[in-house]
Amino acid sequence: MTLLNIAVVVKLEPDFSEGSISYNPDGTLNRSQTKSTLGPHSKIAAQAAFYAKVKYGAKISIGTMSGHIANSALQMAMETCDAEVLHLYNDKIFAGADTIGTAEVLKKGIEKMDGKMDIVFSGHRATDGETGQTGPQIAWKLGFTFLGNVISYDINLEKRTVTAKRLLSLRGISDLIQEIEAPLPVFIAIDPSYKYYFSTASLRLTAEKYQREAHERANNYKDRLQTFDSEELGADKTLVGLVGSPTIVYDVQRVPQGKVIRHAEILDGSNPEHIRKTVTAMREALNAMVIK
Amino acid sequence: MEKYDVAIIGGGSSGLAALKQLSNLGKQAIILEAGSKIGSKNISGGILYSKKPKKGKVTNVEDLYENFLDDSPFERKITKYILHSTSKDKVYSMDLTASHEYQSNFGYSVLMNKLNSWFAKQSVDISQKFGGGIIPRVHVRSITWNNEGRTIIQTDEIDEFEVKAVIAADGVNSEVAEMVGARSKFTSMQLYQGVKVIVRIPEKIINERFGVNSDEGAAHLFAGDITLNHIGGGFLYTNRDTLSIGVVYHFNSLLKNPVEPHTLIDTLLKNSMVSEFIKDEIPIQKEIDKNLPQEEQLRIRFGVAKLIKSWNDTRRNYLSSTHDNTDELKSKLSFIQDQMVTKYGVTFGTDYVESEYSAKLIPDGKRCRMKKPFFKNILFVGDAAGRGIFVGPRIEGLNVGIDDAVRAANAVARAIDKNDFSQRYLGEYYSQLIDESPYTTDMNQIDKDYLKIFLDATKNVPKDSIGKRYGPILKLMSNDTLRGIAVKFVNILGYDKIFSMIESEDTYVKIPIQLAEKHGKIVSSSYSPNILSLAERIEKLNYTEDHVSHIIILKDSEFMKKMIVLCPAKCFTEEGGKTILQHEGCLECGTCSHETEWRHPRGEKGVHYQYG
Repeated sequence: MTLLNIAVVVKLEPDFSEGSISYNPDGTLNRSQTKSTLGPHSKIAAQAAFYAKVKYGAKISIGTMSGHIANSALQMAMETCDAEVLHLYNDKIFAGADTIGTAEVLKKGIEKMDGKMDIVFSGHRATDGETGQTGPQIAWKLGFTFLGNVISYDINLEKRTVTAKRLLSLRGISDLIQEIEAPLPVFIAIDPSYKYYFSTASLRLTAEKYQREAHERANNYKDRLQTFDSEELGADKTLVGLVGSPTIVYDVQRVPQGKVIRHAEILDGSNPEHIRKTVTAMREALNAMVIK
Repeated sequence: MEKYDVAIIGGGSSGLAALKQLSNLGKQAIILEAGSKIGSKNISGGILYSKKPKKGKVTNVEDLYENFLDDSPFERKITKYILHSTSKDKVYSMDLTASHEYQSNFGYSVLMNKLNSWFAKQSVDISQKFGGGIIPRVHVRSITWNNEGRTIIQTDEIDEFEVKAVIAADGVNSEVAEMVGARSKFTSMQLYQGVKVIVRIPEKIINERFGVNSDEGAAHLFAGDITLNHIGGGFLYTNRDTLSIGVVYHFNSLLKNPVEPHTLIDTLLKNSMVSEFIKDEIPIQKEIDKNLPQEEQLRIRFGVAKLIKSWNDTRRNYLSSTHDNTDELKSKLSFIQDQMVTKYGVTFGTDYVESEYSAKLIPDGKRCRMKKPFFKNILFVGDAAGRGIFVGPRIEGLNVGIDDAVRAANAVARAIDKNDFSQRYLGEYYSQLIDESPYTTDMNQIDKDYLKIFLDATKNVPKDSIGKRYGPILKLMSNDTLRGIAVKFVNILGYDKIFSMIESEDTYVKIPIQLAEKHGKIVSSSYSPNILSLAERIEKLNYTEDHVSHIIILKDSEFMKKMIVLCPAKCFTEEGGKTILQHEGCLECGTCSHETEWRHPRGEKGVHYQYG
């Protein structure tokens, strides 16, 4: 069986779950003081890759652009999807990159991976940047079809196509699920709501087998870790890092906090008028919560 | 439709043993386990025995898992087995180590989560070789036979598939037994309810307190006033750096005199002897000044919590036998301690640390073992078949389940070889293997040799406390010839005729109380433990909640009213004269199952035990 060749690009992100985020006086993130972890969206991308590995058989490579502190993120991603190869793109000149400077490095990295990729996965967006641009830019640079907001997918190995469901939120209309078919290779930015499901005993057994393998591999992840600097990647120095980043950060502002005002009103449970008032208020509140 | 040779329902120690044996024999088998991972639903007292019966053969854990003795995460080898009769602060103790060692190679204290994970690991590679393995997070919904007689298994999670034979190892509340009608639900007469807590104590303190070295352990049993007038008693087993402490009471006696299970276990914990066993040094936080700015309060809370955690970890490590840098740990510990005191005003006191609360029903094999433990091509093993040995201080279940499972696996392998899964060739043969099991004999009749050892252990017990009814019997039994005749007579008459005599309020409550009062030593405790409330206990457990309840109340009966008291998680309440169920904190013990529609939660849902 010819294996699918899959790449996952991941990002080391501040660990918001610990509640110990440190900021610089100018409002930017103090990365040296903040504990980092594999980005939650990156983790979902790795899970999506694992699905292909279990269902179709795949060789998975993971790449990230970061300092050596990203080793832990690569290790976690490996444990999630039982990857065979880990790539760390690490060079001083990569620093200060915006999304397009990052996309260039990741594209170069993906090209260094063994074999031609069939699918590249990325998360929906980063939790610390939230632009969601890096994925589409890598796809554009690689010349792959870009599929965003993918909530589920399957592959036809004979036809070499992928069928994907995309979750589209259009203003003024309810959410839509769009089903599309695209020829491989594709770049998939996975939707946060993605969750794989293995519906047969044999797939479950395979998943268990790879999960155990992943655990073993992750324990010795350094055996499979390769580090590349800009030269080894053959990166064009004018396209990466600060030099290759046209974005100008004009100002950084904290998200303004809305003022919380609460009015308390004491209601009598035995008064039908009060009950009616409460129910009406609850209905209104519920209606307001429905995302349109 | 996918096809497999054998499906094993339930990944506890019996199910895992069946998988190992089938794989050893080169057969394909899959385990379907509802828990999120192997071990997460398993509870035991627990001591795992390895036995050498005089008549007949059993497969012991170390026979099935060759590297069990060298590699498995058992806790301690129990070398002391002591029965205490209690009355208030008085305790009368009897050494029953000889009866614990009767026909046994060893008895290890074990924690099921760890141990079953280890068992699973031993089967993984070999079962995979034959196309089998373990599938967690899958709950079996039905087993049916289609027109061609093929066995179809349906689950809540994955597509249906076909198998040739089934081994039902789904525990005391076996859904398989119920869905196919292999047996009726066990009655209150046939069951015991067990409730257990895990208490953390550093290894070296356990060694010192129980007078054992790191490889040895002690088991303490309790009867008397701690039972609050129920048939049954308490136990305390030493693990490596925890204690398993629990109470086990006959369900019928609980129904007659309903007392909340957590009250029963609290009563045991409050007994001065037990309080002294469980005590430890505990850091006590200073109350945070509410007038400080919110952020400062938060900073202190995080700071203290972090320091206490590292104090606990370091102390545990320092007081364990597995490290070799004592001095370094000692200075680290005193550094942390110093910081706690100077920075945050932490003080130190005496209390106990409880980590896990759990509950389980225990089948009394002498009353409820399935006489024919099969139905069509389904074989029942261990708790699912109602098999456990429960005779006074002799309590065995894990070893019975493992041996049953090996017998079932052998029967299934033989059927696969001949491609004959008929009742006659598979079921009857398995039933015959089970009848040959020495454990079955132990559930069937009195073992006069065990009785002798037990009586020898109790021969110094002052007879004035035994009472009119038992005094003459004991005297009679102390004579070898008369005992032999009496045992033969009882075994002919039927063992069940004397259950009410050996399991009575006299034997578990009254006589022990009298013994303690007249001849017991006073044991006083230097502190009183701050026992966790039930809410705190439930809060410590991990759950994956299911919005669909796995229990449905069928009728508003007297039994259900008693469940308001007897449910160990207090899932039942009364509202407007009706019994209402809140399934969210359920421990999945099955106490309420007799008059409810009771299922195990769907795959991955429900409680996840950390110790077990």
